[in-house]
Amino acid sequence: MAETVRVIGDTLPGADFNSPLLEVDDLHVEFRVRGRRVPAVRGASFTLEQGRTLAVVGESGSGKSVTSQAIMGILDTPPAAITGGAVRLHGVDLLEQSEETRREVRGNHIAIVFQDALSSLNPLWSVGFQIGELFRVHRGSSRKDAKLKAIELLDQVGIPDAKNRVGHYPHQFSGGMRQRVMIAMALALDPEVLIADEPTTALDVTVQAQIMRLLKRIQSERHMGLILITHDLGVVADVADEVAVMYAGEVVERAGIRDAFKRPAHPYTKALLRAIPRVDTVGRELEVIGGLPPNPAALPGGCPFHPRCFAAEDKCKSEVPPWTEPAESHGSRCHFAEEVYTDER
Amino acid sequence: MGRYVIRRLLQALLTLGIVLFLLHYLTALSVQIRGNPALLFFGGDRTPDPGMLAQVERLYGLDNKCYERVGDPCLSPFVDRLQNFVQGDFGTTLNGNRDVGQLLAIYIPNTLRLFIFATITLVTVAMVLGTWAARHRGKFIDHTVRGTTILADSIPVFLILLSYVYIVAVPLTRWARGIWGTESFMGQVFRPNYNADYPWTTIIIPGIIVGTVGLATMTRLIRASQLENLGSDFVRTAKAKGLKPMRITIVHVIRNSMIPIITGVGFLFAFMLSGAVLTEGVMGIPGMGRMIFQAVQRQEGNLVIVGLTVSAVVVVFVSLIVDLLYAALDPRIRYE
Ligand SMILES: Nc1ncnc2c1ncn2[C@@H]1O[C@H](COP(=O)(O)OP(=O)(O)OP(=O)(O)O)[C@@H](O)[C@H]1O
Ligand code: SF4
Ligand SMILES: [Mg+2]
Repeated sequence: MAETVRVIGDTLPGADFNSPLLEVDDLHVEFRVRGRRVPAVRGASFTLEQGRTLAVVGESGSGKSVTSQAIMGILDTPPAAITGGAVRLHGVDLLEQSEETRREVRGNHIAIVFQDALSSLNPLWSVGFQIGELFRVHRGSSRKDAKLKAIELLDQVGIPDAKNRVGHYPHQFSGGMRQRVMIAMALALDPEVLIADEPTTALDVTVQAQIMRLLKRIQSERHMGLILITHDLGVVADVADEVAVMYAGEVVERAGIRDAFKRPAHPYTKALLRAIPRVDTVGRELEVIGGLPPNPAALPGGCPFHPRCFAAEDKCKSEVPPWTEPAESHGSRCHFAEEVYTDER
Repeated sequence: MGRYVIRRLLQALLTLGIVLFLLHYLTALSVQIRGNPALLFFGGDRTPDPGMLAQVERLYGLDNKCYERVGDPCLSPFVDRLQNFVQGDFGTTLNGNRDVGQLLAIYIPNTLRLFIFATITLVTVAMVLGTWAARHRGKFIDHTVRGTTILADSIPVFLILLSYVYIVAVPLTRWARGIWGTESFMGQVFRPNYNADYPWTTIIIPGIIVGTVGLATMTRLIRASQLENLGSDFVRTAKAKGLKPMRITIVHVIRNSMIPIITGVGFLFAFMLSGAVLTEGVMGIPGMGRMIFQAVQRQEGNLVIVGLTVSAVVVVFVSLIVDLLYAALDPRIRYE
């Protein structure tokens, strides 16, 4: 097997390596359902640098998956429509590229691991075929070479007896092993960005930890940028470098992981942190955030979090809070960001 | 895989055995309850000479005491008949004393031809319409396709048949003959009835008509299964892998949609049998459907049993093929 040297400019013309690896800038996505427009993402912004892990955290329906699929360019349009913003990879706005370039970016530069590995793999093809497909389509490899590469990858993600398992079908693997197959597939073309959309939610606790460790190991070995999507802040505490908290389609807080845990600057983040089970809270009742996530078709005016916010005041009902930075590279979308940050609220 | 095949084969044989026995038992019961059909041979009420009656009974396999005891399963004539069938001996007709085996040699190929054209029509038309509708889901084309197929399905086959035979066929044939000549393909294809000299050509139109039975069901099935796969998680994965839409459709959608389609075809086969009875009758095709119909009409017990046996064999065989195709397509079934 001859190793081919990859030049990023080949598949991404105009790439500038002084720009950040991946920059999501004021991204807007809406769904058009029965003539109505439902905003799913309303101005998501974050930056991912090479070799870093960004956790994207938020409740169900906050727009995490839609954001990641918009980055990949795999949303079905219609019903979805990207109505604004930019997704820049090495400074190149992917949203302005041709469909052909975008296809090259998928797999080659950005790859994704979905939550449910069983339904995300085609039940009728062997895992070897599905991994090898990437080499055959993007690199023109022969069936035989593709299979050898697939074995190599399965081995790397810790699947025992990879030589034999390569010919097996998805239903013949356990949940954790299937997620490893998904990860192997995502790693195939050595992407620079890996998005993991709740990769462990469907798994039991011990397997969750194994998969997290695997992702972390691979991320540092390959010096990739990793976006880890989860609704559980506890899971990412010792894996992530930065965190972006999403609420109702917006990023409401962005900070380094330590800073975010120690001194959250948004009431929502604060509430999420109180909901994490910890050693020192064992035996005490966990606080859950009261109320339901808002209906994206009928968002409350002003700050969308105000009906559930412990710190809300009249101003919050009418005025949309601006983005403020109570500390360096620590931003929050709250009228009282400073007070929350300094724990005065 | 090997074990799966063997298990399905045994199941098929068992099913066939049960069906054939039930068929036999029902006919035995009808003889036991309604009386000896051999009497018909002598014309209704007359009391025949006992010696002659015994001869006729022997001829038609009714010379067994079990036929006089209501509820007796009559196992020994059943086994005898199966043995005869296996040896290729299907008996003779009451009318004209013809060898049934020779009739089958003419009828089975004709019905087979009819089904070949019917299946081709059904699958291709439904595939094109179903894929088209799925691609334009919720749009005008989708509604039109669904509307027309349901409309077509609600018209009974005999209506389509009669309007073809009495309204369309004759002028169309005359027109085609005027241009291409009587002996040409076009001169034969539109004929309102079967012609033994053109056993393939003159069965095309009847086949197409039989193929419209279940067209709506099939179209909806294909539309639904393609939509399901197009919106599936593994198609999303395929997109995330940077595959082209064409490759996604061919590698990740069509194969996955085949399972309900194969099920549908297997299922519709039974419906097509009833379509065949009407079509063969109206268009004068000497086939199995017409044979069974006439056998019932003329109270030819043996012929009815032979005809139903053949169709039972076909139905069991088709579902065996369906099961084997499943296994070939879907590893979850293969390794179950
Ligand atoms: N196909 C769709 N049609 C209409 N609305 C959609 C569609 N997909 C997503 N949405 C809407 O977009 C919003 C964001 O959904 P998204 O899947 O991104 O949430 P999420 O943060 O990933 O939640 P979860 O934790 O449940 O995965 C939701 O309100 C959802 O109703
Ligand atoms: S702006 Fe007001 S309602 Fe919104 S999070 Fe801040 S305090 Fe709460
Ligand atoms: Mg999600």
